[in-house]
Amino acid sequence: MILANIIHDKQSDRITSFSLSGHADSGEYGKDIVCAAVSVLSISTVNGLTEVANLEPKVVSDDIEGGFMEVTVPEANSSVDEIAAQAILSTFQNGMRDISQSYADYIKLDITID
Amino acid sequence: MLEMNLQFFSHHKGGGSTANGRDSAGRRLGTKAADGSKVTTGSIIYRQRGTHIYPGKNVKRAGDDTLFALVDGVVRFERMGRSKRQVSVYPVSEAVAK
Repeated sequence: MILANIIHDKQSDRITSFSLSGHADSGEYGKDIVCAAVSVLSISTVNGLTEVANLEPKVVSDDIEGGFMEVTVPEANSSVDEIAAQAILSTFQNGMRDISQSYADYIKLDITID
Repeated sequence: MLEMNLQFFSHHKGGGSTANGRDSAGRRLGTKAADGSKVTTGSIIYRQRGTHIYPGKNVKRAGDDTLFALVDGVVRFERMGRSKRQVSVYPVSEAVAK
């Protein structure tokens, strides 16, 4: 099961980080659709933060074993980039929430408001 | 930029019955007990390198930075200061009051 945690900062009303750990195990390697969905969502989010919102998120991931990713999002240099970053992260959260509702056996999402 | 690997959160190729039979020590880092879940004394809560998450109440840090419970109770991930985070375990009676 994948344990996902998305962290909001109450004061600044921003999503500040997210972490994903575990394996979906919804199918054999190459046919694990939940894993593929979470992979594409999380990797696209990191790449979007870099390419679209011009940020340098701090990414800690286990590239050998897979199944672990921690992303910390710095504040953007401009309000335009900040709006873009939070839009990307909110889209990520929506996608993760929808997946966790449809595939609750394979993924658990916690949204933490700090 | 991260490489798009659609199997990033999938177990690696299932090994059939091979002569090797070896299993490399997987470094499954990250959360092992989610926020709000019940744990028993000694249960591992969070595997990490360094202190991404700090030990809070009734939690201790092992030599490899793994965080584990010192008492039976409910896991709570909490904020610590401005940007740090900690994890605590509250005995069920206490946790109900929180």
